[in-house]
Formats: sequence, C-alpha cells, structure tokens
Amino acid sequence: MTGFGEGLFNPTDAVINWARKNSLWPFFFGLSCCFVEEATAWGPRYDIARFGSEVFRGSPRQADVLIVSGTMFQKIAPVALRLYEQMSDPKWVISMGSCSNSGGMYDVYSVVQGSDQILPIDVYIPGCPPRPEAVFEGLMLLQKKIAAGEKPTRPVLHLPGGSQGGREDFLVDGATKCRDTRGPGYAGIPIRGTAATEPRFAGSRAEVMWTPPVPGLVLTAGQETLAADLAAVFGDDARLTDTVPTPGDMPTYVVAPARLPEVLAYLKEKAPTRFERLEDLTALDETARRVPAGHEATVVYTLTSMSAATMVRLTCPLPSRDSSLPTATGVWSCANWYEREAAEMFGLRFDGHPDPRRLLTHRDWIGHPLRKDYEGRATSRPAFTRADCERLEPVDAAEILGRRAAAGDYLLNFGPHHYATHGIIRYVLAMRGERVKAMGIDIGYHHRGVEKIGERQTWHQFIPYTDRVDYLSGIANNLSYVTAVEQLAGIAVPPRAAYARVMLSELFRLSNHLMYFGTFLQDLGMMSPIFYALREREMVLDIIETITGGRLHPAWLRLGGLAADLPEGWKEQVDAFVKIFPGRLKEYHAGVTRNPIVRARTKGVGGISGATAIDWGITGPNLRAAGVAWDRRKAMPYGAYADFDFDVPTREHGDCYDRYLVRMDEMAQSLRIIEQAAARMPGGRYLSDDARYCLPQKDATLRDIESLIHHFVNVTRGPRLPAGMAYAATEAPRGEQGYCVVSDGGCHAYRMRIRTPGFANVQALPLMIEGLSIADCVAVLASYDYILPDIDR
Amino acid sequence: MPPTAEFTPLLAPFSPWEPGALPLVVFGAIVLVVMAVILFLSGFLVRRRPTPSKQQPYECGIRPTGPARFRYPVPFFLMAVFFLLFDVETAYIISYAVAWPELGLPGYLRLAVFVIVLGLGLVYAWRKGGLDWDEEEGL
Repeated sequence: MTGFGEGLFNPTDAVINWARKNSLWPFFFGLSCCFVEEATAWGPRYDIARFGSEVFRGSPRQADVLIVSGTMFQKIAPVALRLYEQMSDPKWVISMGSCSNSGGMYDVYSVVQGSDQILPIDVYIPGCPPRPEAVFEGLMLLQKKIAAGEKPTRPVLHLPGGSQGGREDFLVDGATKCRDTRGPGYAGIPIRGTAATEPRFAGSRAEVMWTPPVPGLVLTAGQETLAADLAAVFGDDARLTDTVPTPGDMPTYVVAPARLPEVLAYLKEKAPTRFERLEDLTALDETARRVPAGHEATVVYTLTSMSAATMVRLTCPLPSRDSSLPTATGVWSCANWYEREAAEMFGLRFDGHPDPRRLLTHRDWIGHPLRKDYEGRATSRPAFTRADCERLEPVDAAEILGRRAAAGDYLLNFGPHHYATHGIIRYVLAMRGERVKAMGIDIGYHHRGVEKIGERQTWHQFIPYTDRVDYLSGIANNLSYVTAVEQLAGIAVPPRAAYARVMLSELFRLSNHLMYFGTFLQDLGMMSPIFYALREREMVLDIIETITGGRLHPAWLRLGGLAADLPEGWKEQVDAFVKIFPGRLKEYHAGVTRNPIVRARTKGVGGISGATAIDWGITGPNLRAAGVAWDRRKAMPYGAYADFDFDVPTREHGDCYDRYLVRMDEMAQSLRIIEQAAARMPGGRYLSDDARYCLPQKDATLRDIESLIHHFVNVTRGPRLPAGMAYAATEAPRGEQGYCVVSDGGCHAYRMRIRTPGFANVQALPLMIEGLSIADCVAVLASYDYILPDIDR
Repeated sequence: MPPTAEFTPLLAPFSPWEPGALPLVVFGAIVLVVMAVILFLSGFLVRRRPTPSKQQPYECGIRPTGPARFRYPVPFFLMAVFFLLFDVETAYIISYAVAWPELGLPGYLRLAVFVIVLGLGLVYAWRKGGLDWDEEEGL
C-alpha cells in the first residue's frame, strides 16, 4: 500500500505485534525425539514461561504456533497438514530438528525430506535433537520476525493491505527447493563416487580382505537333549542347520514350512525344554547373497525358554518371496503383528492369518520395503507433495476395527495426535457411553525404516540410529546393538568399557523412569510431579553430558568399547547424584504413592496375569509387575551385569499401580548398580585392541601410523565383519530389546532386525483396555510406558 | 466513621446502598454498552478464513467416522437432573432457615410438605430404577 495511510498504522502495528509475539501459544504437537527436548524446555530448568509460551494447547483451535518437532513421516503428513489447517489464524510454524528440516539422518522411503514440502515453515531450528536452549533461540527468532515483518492493523480492521501471520507457501521440489544432498547449486554436476546402496558398496576394497570365521557353537547338555528329541519326533523336518558358518549365539534349526506350527506347538508345550515366549518373528530376503542360498526367502522364529534361560532359532526356507507358509497365530497369538509386518515388508503370505492387512505402511502403499530390490532412499524416489497427502489419508476408523465394532458403537479416534498417546499412535475405540467395547490399533505413523537403513550404513555408522530407536534410553539402545555385533564377530570388551556401559545404561534407565513417573502422573491429572521428575532427570542428563557430550542421543558406544575414556570429574558428579537421589525418591513416594486418588485411579485397573503376559511376549517392568521375576540382566546376563549385586523387583497383579511401583523400585536398584559401577570402575583400555573390527583408542592414532591407518579404514569404509547371524537382547528400560544382525561378509549388515519391547507390549494392550472406561484407558496407557519409534522402528 | 469533636465530615458519606433507580439504570446501560462493544470487537477483529479442513471437527487429526448426532446413553444427564433437584431444595431450605424467626411453625409445616413431596419423588424414582442406569445403554 502506498499513498495515504502509509505509516499511519505504525504505532498500532507495533502494539499488536508486541502483544502477539509475547503470547505465542504453541500447539502440543510432537512427532518424535525432538519433542522430548521441547517438553524439557517447558520443564523447571529451562522454563519456557519466560517467553510467554508455556501454555501448550492440546487443540489446534487454541494454538497459533506449530512446532514441528521430529520426523515428518509420510503416514503422519496428512494428519500434520490437517492439524495445521485447523489452527486459528494468524499462525506460524517452527520446524524443529534435522528430520523436520530436511529428513535429517532418515533418508528413507517412509520419511518426508523436509516438512517444508507440505507446510509453510517460518523458522528452522537445527540440531538432532536441538537442545532446549535452541528451542528458545527459534522462539525468539520468530518473535523478531513478527515484530519486524508484520503489519497487522490493516487486516485486523478489514482494510486492504498489511500482513500478518507466517508464510503461506510451501516449497516445491525442483522449483523452490533442492533435495540434492550436496546442497543447492550443484544441478548438472554429476555425483562423484557411488552411494552405499544395497546389496553392497560397489568397488569397496573390503571385498578382498580376509576375516577370521565366526565363533562356532558348542551345544550344552540341555540343547543336545532337545536336538535329539526333535530329531526323534520330526526327523528331517526339524534338523539342526548345516549352513556354514553356523550361528554361534543359539542352536538354529531348519524347519519344513508345512510342519512349522506343529514344531512351534511342540517346543511350547511338550519339548524337554519348554519355550514359553515367541521372542521374535521376522524374515530375510536371500536374493542378494554373495553365495546364492538356494532359496529366495527365509522366515526366522526366535524362541525364549524362561524356565531354562535359553533360546532357540527356527528358520524356514521358502522357494520364493511370494510364497506362503502356515500362520503361527494358532500357537502364539502375538505372532499376529509379527506376521503382518513380515508379510508387508517382504511380500510373504501367511495362510490362515486372522487379519492379513498391512501393519506399518499405509493400506495403499506400493511395494515391499525390505526386499533387496526396493529403493530405500527417499532422495532417490519422487518428492513427497501435498497430493501424496491426499493419497495417504489415514484409513477410516471403521476399517481398522472391522467386524469388531458392533452397530450402534461410537467410533472414536484416540490419536495419532493426542496428549495421552505419548507419541503418534492411533487407537480406535468402539465406545458405548464411557465404556470401551473394542479397541483397534493403527501403528506405523512413526515408521522410520531403520531396518532398511541398517542395510546401507557401515557397522559403526549405524550406532547413532540405535540411539533413536528408543529415544528416551540413548545408550541402553547402543548396548543392545553393539552386544549383538560383538557376539557375531567374537569381540571381547575390556572391563573398563563393560563397567562404563553398565553405568551409563542404568543412568538412562533412571532418566527414562523419571520421565515415566512424571508423565504417568500428569496423565492421571497431577501437574506437579513432572516438574520434580524433570529436575532430577536434568541431574542425570548432566552426568551423561559430562561423560558423553550428548543428552538424548550420545551414540557413545563403539564396537568393542566406548568412543572415549571417562572424563575427569565424572566420579564426583555420579557420587553426588547417588547421595542426593534416595532422598528424592522418598519424596516421590511420600507425595504420590500413598495418595488415595492415585490408588483409586490405578489399583485393580488394567491388570494382566503373568501367564498371559508371557504368552503375548510382554517384557520388562510390565511383565515383572504381573509377578514374573524375569530380568535378562539376571537370567541371561550380558556385558558386566553378572558382577553386580541387585534385586529384581516384582509385583502381583499387573495392574497400573503395580506397573508404577515396579518402576519406582527399579530406580532404587539402578542406583545401586550405578553406585557399585562407580566405586569399582576398573582401569585399563576403553576400547578393545581387536584392530580388525574396532577403532583404535584416540591417543594411539595420534602417536603411531598403524593405529591411524586402522582408524581411517574403520571409520571410512568400516570394518568388514565375517558372514553369520547373531541375536542379542538386553534388558532395556522398557523391556527386552534385541538385535538380530545378519552379515553376508560385508561392511554393512545384510539384514538388521530389531526386536523391540514396545511392539509386543502394545499389541497386547486391547487385552487390558477393552471393557474399561475411557478414563481408565488413559491410566493404562500412561502406566504402560511405550515409545513410538520402538514400536514402529 | 462516626463524627467526633475533632473531625466532622463536610458531606454525609456517600452510600451505594441508598435506594434510587437512576444509578441502577445507568449501571445497566454501561454494562450493556460494554458487552455490546466487546461482542462487536471480538466478532469484527477476528480473522475468519474458513477452509474445508478447518471446518471439520477436530478428532486427533483424523477425519471423524459417523455422525455426531447419535443415540447416546444419558447417565450424566440423569445425574445432572438429580443434582439440580436437590440443589434447588437446598436453596429453598437455606433461605427458609434465614427467615425462621418470622415464619415460625406454619412456615415449618409448609416447608415440610415441600421436602416430603420431593422425598416421595426420590423414592419413586429410586424404585423405578432411576438411579441404577446401564452406562452402556442408558436407561
């Protein structure tokens, strides 16, 4: 606008902008890891209230700032777009974190390479994840933008001209945006070298390197008995594998597909060693093997015997990737989701499956992502646009529940965006009044394709991805992964590293359980505990930051040890925390545990029996709350856990109250372990001297050329691991997290399978929730402690 | 403050409790004007930009299934009706208690009739099953 009125409204513009910028109302919208830091910014140490933005609104109608915190998945993109549309005007968008900015680490089929392809972004916050201070920086930049760039008086008075609100245009690939990973301006310049893509990195010198064979397996007496027994009952239809190399982690049987349910049922109910739990069920695409396997696909069943603390693996070779085999849902109901996942990811068919639909990907998704010929990189696929949002619109609630919803039930979508879902998961509830009659679960909104990424990152490069599998447990995730790889290659970990790993894992268990404590009670309606919990959690994160330099995702473990030695001053900090924390724990109990309202809300609500919990593969504190004293740290110790003295807390009923108490007790036990680890921390190397696979210690690389060469080779193209397969599980804060790493003798995994506690735990949720009222449903979800990337991966 | 020898106010203290219709009318008019201005401004200054997505009901970011008008069990409605009933009863009893010295025994008897009739109504509703609702199907 020019002419009359120019400058007339400057004073009112300034006043309106001043009012707006100092009372921004962020939308309570989190996609993944970044949201934890966004929520921490709201907590006591950082206190976002200083910026006038502490009121995170649960409804888009009451919010005017959308902070896209986390990974923009293709499945969630239509939802995010709708929520943005439903926000009140004028509105602004902050993109928080690398994933939202550009896809970040996740250049993979399921992730939109930048939220700006569908949403107009005003401010970008870099980081993975950005610290709470960075959130403030972003917020202040937005405030500056509002104050400097907007002329709201005219639009407010319905006059032509002026401006208010954030950008309104989104970016279009090729026109306003460039997805070239080298940055803009490189158009027409050919990419030098080749990307590491499946099945292997072309031209790598690692191909000519020799690696020693993997350690073999010597059967124990019990395993011999089982092998003899299976041979007697099933003959050649269930025989010990004769492939070379033989997996060294557990006995592996080759089972004829037709007899599979029979063998599984036998192992579960009649065998001399009973295998009560279906630990994992997955598949392998064998078509890209260096040495052709003779069949195109293999289905892998991993079973755990809790009575004998041992494991067994069954493999089922299939002639083609479209083959079918009988379902295992008749033996273990929890095979349901595992089979659906294997079917959509590999194209297999499971005959007799009760619900053969896609699980993680959208109904209309094309292709089977974990097949070797499927293009995994999003940057090699067409850009995601707003038109795709319409195509991938979430399916209707009635379709998810199917016949389980009776006529006259009200179908309620609980999530993917909701305070109480703790992440982007969608429950569909068939309601009669306040009562949940049937519950359907739609997962996959947080599917980051991490198993596909594992097939193109070198063994070391994959470590940062493991941090983000359970984004509240950082190093505890690293531990599961490196344990599996170390098992595969037979790498010995020096005692100092083993102790430090235990200490850090337990610190993360504490940090996770503190977050649990706060959010559980917040969902029950208590506002204060989360502030106390975040205060203590910051102390834990301070220790972790001192040692590792990171907060949520330190990526600090390495094959054979740690990234660096423990720094000066770590012990004083740990000792101070060990002294302070028991008193704080007492405070929590005094304030919460005996609170009659908490008891009334949680006692006897959402209980599950121990036997059912085992049958459904529930692990971790949720299993122990049901009275099963099974903890991998005790039952099948890994790392240095056998050296430590601690108890396994259990409870009886498996209801919400018990789940809460078990975690409170676990915090005390974790503290005992931390105290012992700190007091008895051994000296010596922090990285294994197995230079073939491990990085050399940093100081050595600065002194001798041999170490420098090893460092260079193992960092750039990565170590070449022997062919083989290994499964290792650890007791992560939320339950048992296992990595099944398959190597074809390359610098990358041939298959990276992650068995997560959340997947099995959440699958069993309808058992606990159906029949409860909707308020109790929230209590069960809050007490259950799951996390989304851990379910969807 | 009572007038004393040392201090005598020149004007009698103004009391807002003095009867008089004019202040009430002025007050009412001011209230109406303020309300009208607020309502007008909040309607005028707001920026309405309806889009199809924005007009949809918010249901966690998903398109809702089925209509919002359906047969819904009404235990909360019943609860609310009962509450209102007894709330009104309480209001009567308390105002009656304040006026006890003037009303005396006749007042007591009249109120007793009222309470008994209400009590009979409650017994009737209770016996008909008005208090045991089926929370899934309503009454």
